[in-house]
Amino acid sequence: MPVRVVENNAPAQVSGNDPGNRSPLPPSSLLAAGQAFSGTQNVSNQQKEEAWRVNVQIQGIDLEHGYLCGTMEALNVPMADTPVITFWEGEIVDGKNYTFYTGKWEATREDDMRHWSKFPSFAPLQGQVESDGGRQLDLSNYPYIFMRWKEQYFVNVGTDCGLTIAGFYYVCFSCSDGSISGFYYDPNSSPFQKLELKTVNEGRSGFSFSSYELQ
Amino acid sequence: MPTTTSSSSSSAASSSGNRQADVFSRLASSDPEVKLKALREVKNQIIGNRTKKLSFLKLGAVPAIASALSDADCSSNSSILVQSAAALGSFACGFEAGVQAVLDAGVFPRLLRLLTSSDEKVVDAGARSLRMIFQSNQAPKYDFLQEKNMEFLFSLLNSENENVSGLGASIIAHACGTSVEQQVLCDAGVLEKLVLLLDGSLSQREACLESLATVLKSNPEAVSRFVGLEAGRYMSSVTELTKDRYPRTRLLSCLCLVVIYNTSPSYFLNMGTKSSLVTTLLELLNDPGQSGDEAALGLSSLIAEKEDLQKLAYEANAIKNIVDILKTGSELNPKRLQGLFLSLAELCSKLEDCRCSFLSLEMLDLLVNELRHKNADVRTAACICFRNAARSIKNLSAGRFTTDHVMLPLVQLLHDPSSSVQVAVLGALSNIVLDFSSPKSTFIEYGGIKQLIELSKSMDPNTRCSSLRALRNLMFLADNNRKELFYSEVKAQGFVALISDPEPSVQEQALALLRNLVDGCINSIEFVFDEDGLILDTVGRQLRKAPQAQMAIQGMYVLTNVASGTELHKEAVMQQLFPQPQAESNNFMLKFLQSHESQLRSATVWTIINLISPSSPGALDRHVKLRNEGIIPQLKNMVNDACLDVKIRIRTVLSQSMSFGDN
Repeated sequence: MPVRVVENNAPAQVSGNDPGNRSPLPPSSLLAAGQAFSGTQNVSNQQKEEAWRVNVQIQGIDLEHGYLCGTMEALNVPMADTPVITFWEGEIVDGKNYTFYTGKWEATREDDMRHWSKFPSFAPLQGQVESDGGRQLDLSNYPYIFMRWKEQYFVNVGTDCGLTIAGFYYVCFSCSDGSISGFYYDPNSSPFQKLELKTVNEGRSGFSFSSYELQ
Repeated sequence: MPTTTSSSSSSAASSSGNRQADVFSRLASSDPEVKLKALREVKNQIIGNRTKKLSFLKLGAVPAIASALSDADCSSNSSILVQSAAALGSFACGFEAGVQAVLDAGVFPRLLRLLTSSDEKVVDAGARSLRMIFQSNQAPKYDFLQEKNMEFLFSLLNSENENVSGLGASIIAHACGTSVEQQVLCDAGVLEKLVLLLDGSLSQREACLESLATVLKSNPEAVSRFVGLEAGRYMSSVTELTKDRYPRTRLLSCLCLVVIYNTSPSYFLNMGTKSSLVTTLLELLNDPGQSGDEAALGLSSLIAEKEDLQKLAYEANAIKNIVDILKTGSELNPKRLQGLFLSLAELCSKLEDCRCSFLSLEMLDLLVNELRHKNADVRTAACICFRNAARSIKNLSAGRFTTDHVMLPLVQLLHDPSSSVQVAVLGALSNIVLDFSSPKSTFIEYGGIKQLIELSKSMDPNTRCSSLRALRNLMFLADNNRKELFYSEVKAQGFVALISDPEPSVQEQALALLRNLVDGCINSIEFVFDEDGLILDTVGRQLRKAPQAQMAIQGMYVLTNVASGTELHKEAVMQQLFPQPQAESNNFMLKFLQSHESQLRSATVWTIINLISPSSPGALDRHVKLRNEGIIPQLKNMVNDACLDVKIRIRTVLSQSMSFGDN
């Protein structure tokens, strides 16, 4: 007989909304330093359809502070001769360090809601977030992690390469299979450029994990 | 008796030498007036003058003055007693060689006797002199546990004479070391006596603050007793004194509060007090004297491990202030340098903003210079500063730390004569070698791998652990070249020795290193099969020995990584998990699945996921075996595991299980 699994679709409520008492999110195996992801960013606009291949690697994650960082490599970028690599830093929406409201980077609350609501996994949370900013949500048991990723600098090309890193990504990570989707937001670029990534296993039949420890 | 007269007509060049030699014969004179004048002369020359102290010392002034004091003691010549005590006190003041000489001259008991004189001036001089001696670590041990010593101490504290009561406090400040001594002093009522000095003269207040800090340090009962005195009145007094006009008073009261905070932080719930303490110490950093030196160490002690205080300090511009002091270019004394670097290190310990701020101020060159400082404490503090700044992944990724002129001096310090420097630099290098698969590694170019391997064989387990951690970080996302460079120095036998280290923490790092080695390109898995699978066998053996959780986690990730390879690799892992023959009670997988450590449960489930990964032909057979060994049924019991990550992985296994037609 198949085992009956207790499904918990929507996140539970926390009692009390004091941010001082919130815990960071628990670790998720596939959102860890050393994990690599690969996929595409759709940069289509009215003129043409275009997609870049993208590789992302997570270099560090600090759940206590809701922080992570890594590199993003864009291949077959028309204006560049080589792949373009950037370094990005991320904010994890955990209700402790960061909320669904960006509060900077020229993103209004309406922009935030417009983007988050494009993720199907945000739907169960939407009502709560709209009413009180999601202050009472307990995200620690929700199998999706929401983040904002902001590119900080170009690693291997100059700033005159014709590409912009002025905006940021709204990101949704699926804890179960490590897939990532995101939407790039920049008031001066085409809206809703979509990022879609999956985990990379480098020719292996299964998952492999490396790690480091800072002293 | 003929007396020598000062030869005022002599030329200047020869006169000082003559006068010095001359003064010795006058010190030995039997004419008290002559002796007295000579004593005054010496005393006046050496006050505040270290060079003069040294030169008189070398000529044997201290024994000569000690004799003068002994003679005067017998003849009760007060003036000579006063002057000789004063001169001896001056020699001992802030001058360790002087303290040594005074103690060697055997005059300490005589100085103590002066305290019982009927002449107040004599008592004063004796007390002042003894206080200077008790500022030094060379002061004789004071046994507080002896009743008569305690009585004597209290007689000092009870004295009306401020120098004598101050001496009592000084003795406590510098001689009280253990919690037993603190207890004995508190039980005898020393806190109640000391706090009365807070309302006394400047010198009494300062002595009191110093001694309070010593009695309260790391002793919650003592702190509780102190805070309870007169419903917190004295605690308030100490807090008020942080705003006193004298810098030394401000410093000593801050240090007292730091001790109380570190012992019992619950007395500091008020953000304002915390903030004020931080900003007062920051201001004191600018004091050019001893207060500034001690303020730096005090600040580092205050903010250590406390993210909220580090944030307060950062917001009060601490990093910029400290960097400005360091960049003044003037020669800072070692104690201050140490304190400043340790404060910077604490600021950078947890907050990424602080690290980025510090690194943006172009401080690495200055820090590199101090790695060559002649004082080992300064070198150690500089290394700790490096280590904490290098916790910034952003800056590591940008290659901030791997330039030649930073890396080379750090690598050279691995051979530093001081072991505390070696430990500190190993910690710094551990972080700095993390270069996220950058193809070039300056660390490796400087022979770093060989040095780390050498250190992994050290007698000291901490060194072995640290060096392996550095190697582990060096092998994170490493390419095949780098892995080969390392492995060729160690080979299978060497690795087995590391994994079998008697210390669990060392085993843990060795296994984590192995985990990184077999990650990446699929061919890397072959390392564990070298020499007939020696390494893999050892991993299996260690896992069967009921290891500590942290070690087991790394071991299971080694198996996970190997199990992500080919059929052969997966089968080899199965053999380690279920060697034939084996009693069911030896099934460590079941034990790990029931561990309290969620990471261990998670790592174990990942191994299973890889073993039954549908893309490999033998998956079904392995699934049958896992089911028969009770592993799959155990997972079914864990569908509602408290840890989300574990729960998710178990569902992956069970859905795969169902697709195998599991009933």
